[in-house]
Amino acid sequence: MLWATRRGCHVDRTACVWLIRTRIDPEAEFAFFDDPAEAPENAELFDVAGARLSHRSDDCSFETFLEEYDLADPVLAEIGKIIHDADLMDGKYGRPESEGLDAIIRGMQLSLPDDDALTLRTDALYDGLHTYLERELS
Amino acid sequence: MAEIEKTRWLILVYKLPREPSRHRVAVWRKLKTLGAIYLQDGVAVLPEDEVTKEQLEWLQLRVSESGGAARIWRGEPNTVAEDRNLVEEFRSSREVAYENLIESAARIERKAALGGEASRLMEELRKVEREFRTERKRDYFGTPLREDARAAIEAARLAARGESGEARDPAEGGC
Repeated sequence: MLWATRRGCHVDRTACVWLIRTRIDPEAEFAFFDDPAEAPENAELFDVAGARLSHRSDDCSFETFLEEYDLADPVLAEIGKIIHDADLMDGKYGRPESEGLDAIIRGMQLSLPDDDALTLRTDALYDGLHTYLERELS
Repeated sequence: MAEIEKTRWLILVYKLPREPSRHRVAVWRKLKTLGAIYLQDGVAVLPEDEVTKEQLEWLQLRVSESGGAARIWRGEPNTVAEDRNLVEEFRSSREVAYENLIESAARIERKAALGGEASRLMEELRKVEREFRTERKRDYFGTPLREDARAAIEAARLAARGESGEARDPAEGGC
């Protein structure tokens, strides 16, 4: 399936890409655009204002994905809180990891302006975060 | 003559129903976190960058979800002087915040010198450090006080850990 989102992925979008690839659609292909008007017609949009899979009320897109796809894994919920704090900067969950994640991905974004290359590398970060939290929560 | 560069500004113009008031409060709080300045009621301005643009877009969505209406404009003041005034307004709001942080850091340092309990001082310090990071994020025009605040916090940290210059045993050497 083809998924599309805005170019210049930061925490929320890179985490959504990882979630799609690892939990929703292993065959996923991604398109990145500057303006929603340029999005491929057959693509499922995410993290784009007005899309089904986007910010909703207080939630960031990653949290919306968890809800829409009934992903009830407590480790994913924990990652959702970290992503929320990094993305919305509202300190809702007070997760300290969010500040580090924000800094690392901002830096990666600067050195890897290509979103395909960026998200391939951030996947490893989220794999690591997931493994770490899995141990913490067990 | 070379043209003087003016800042690119993003202006959020929004309107929300009076009740329930929580939506108005949420939007106001978010704009405050971003360090936006209200030009008037329902009109807030921020310098444009990737972060402010995205955050304002989410805010726009939030407003419409809450039964209101919001538009985002990109613009620049008519004159360089107006532009500079606005930049100055942004700077001075950060300066006030940094001054408060410097004061808090100095207080922690004094308490440490008086033998305050280290774990409590570290807790106070962590709060100051968190606030500093928040300020730094919304310090769009880099005020010089940022460096002073950073240095004051570092000094407070050394003092709270009992490692300040005066407390160190001179026999340990060093320069």
